[in-house]
Amino acid sequence: MIGIRSVTKTFGALTALDDVSLDIADGTFLSLVGPSGSGKSTLLDLLGGLTTPTSGEILIDGEPVRGPGLDRGVVFQQYALFPWRTARTNVEFGLEGGPLGKRQRAERAREYLALVGLSGFEDRYPHELSGGMKQRVAIARSLAYDPAVLLMDEPFAALDAQTREQLQEELLRIWRRTGKTIVFITHGIDEAVYLGQQVAVLTSRPGRLKAVVDVDLGDRTGDVRSGPEFGRQRHRLWELLHDEVRKAAEHERSAAR
Amino acid sequence: MTTTLEAPTVHTRLTDPPPKPRRFRKQLTRAVHASAAVVLFVLLWELVPRFVLDEGTRTFLPPLSEDLQALWDLALDGELADHLLASVGRSAAGFAIAVAVAVPLGLLIGWYRPVARFLQPLLELARNTAALALLPVFTLLLGIGELSKVSLVVYACVWPVLLNTIAGVNTVDPLLVKAARSLGLSSPRLFRKVILPSAVPTVFTGIRMAASYSILVLVAAEMVGAKAGLGYLINTSQVNFQIQQMYAGIIAVSVLGVLVNSGFVVLERRFSTWRPKEKP
Repeated sequence: MIGIRSVTKTFGALTALDDVSLDIADGTFLSLVGPSGSGKSTLLDLLGGLTTPTSGEILIDGEPVRGPGLDRGVVFQQYALFPWRTARTNVEFGLEGGPLGKRQRAERAREYLALVGLSGFEDRYPHELSGGMKQRVAIARSLAYDPAVLLMDEPFAALDAQTREQLQEELLRIWRRTGKTIVFITHGIDEAVYLGQQVAVLTSRPGRLKAVVDVDLGDRTGDVRSGPEFGRQRHRLWELLHDEVRKAAEHERSAAR
Repeated sequence: MTTTLEAPTVHTRLTDPPPKPRRFRKQLTRAVHASAAVVLFVLLWELVPRFVLDEGTRTFLPPLSEDLQALWDLALDGELADHLLASVGRSAAGFAIAVAVAVPLGLLIGWYRPVARFLQPLLELARNTAALALLPVFTLLLGIGELSKVSLVVYACVWPVLLNTIAGVNTVDPLLVKAARSLGLSSPRLFRKVILPSAVPTVFTGIRMAASYSILVLVAAEMVGAKAGLGYLINTSQVNFQIQQMYAGIIAVSVLGVLVNSGFVVLERRFSTWRPKEKP
């Protein structure tokens, strides 16, 4: 379980996150939405242990986070693959220095590349792969060392609509199969509703937790996006976000003046 | 729920060559195109002295064939090999020392940003001080023997390697560093597994530049107080009015330079196979 306890994060005079508290149960798929500048990525960095809160604390299974670790995996929007490594050795990256031998690492990498549908692409370099395939490799890399939590920072934002939809479906499949806790940042309402069991909404700067909405779409079979329930959930979120997006835009305008 | 996976489509067909005859013709056109300028230059060098220049000027700029004849004679009596060996020995020694010193130093400086910021202006100054401008200084301090020549090569080679190594370490994609840090990598492992491999191509570009410089600078250095070497050959030939032999030396130098550079280009490509290929 992830416990975010009254977390505030400031950068100089700027308050990115203001007194955010949120519990995320094990195995939950949580979407995190908010206008730009609402501190979504900051919250993810905090969960990943890449920065420390100015005040408050973050607990994972009761233990405060004291830096990055292999119990959490991070997936970035821009893939962050090592260009000098092949798909397979990229996936092996997080396993190196661990208990597995060389052959076992290769085996594990192959297994996870297969999980994300990339069998046969093991020896390709990142520049030989499409954007969607790169993100699959990145997901496989984060899953390979079996973290309990997967932190995803707008991972599908740079992909075309069709690839994005395909990857969303696969992510749900992987989530069901592995039972990971997933915290998924997005600025797309549709994506948040389609993926998340829960959607947490952050306010515009400073980022505060505005609401946590439960989404119940059954098992999401077929074309759920055009069903009435999806539309209803989507609209609820839209209303929650609308004000915040307007506020954020006003803020940006006045800052630019 | 449909979870059948469609095999991801590869966007570029890497293995699909265009029909053969067209490819051959394309390569031929490209080869002609690439060598046209050199062929033209060779023809001019041969024909202009023969048919255009008057007797007096022709003495100082003989047709290419005569220079090549002189080069052939030098090669046959073993003299060319002696000079070549002397030059390559000095270049290689200076180059090797420079690389051995500058790569580790550059990694160190690049890794500690404040040190890099502190030293950068001085390094820029040193790099932009032409090595040959310092030849008299080297001669004064180290005499006219091997030491001053090799030192000069070291000096000329250190800067491109050092600056490229620093740049290579400094320009590592911060996202890759972040990704590695998110995996809990310690600093030494981060350096070894991310910084170093990511810097290799940039470092190697510096090494290739240094290899070129090592020859360029050395030839000039050999014109002062040497008893062998291609620079010495060019200089004494000029003094002794063996004009063809002088050009033979010049040709030897430029061929050597081209060979060294293209050798390093091949090596460089081998070290950076992971970079997207540049379109020819």
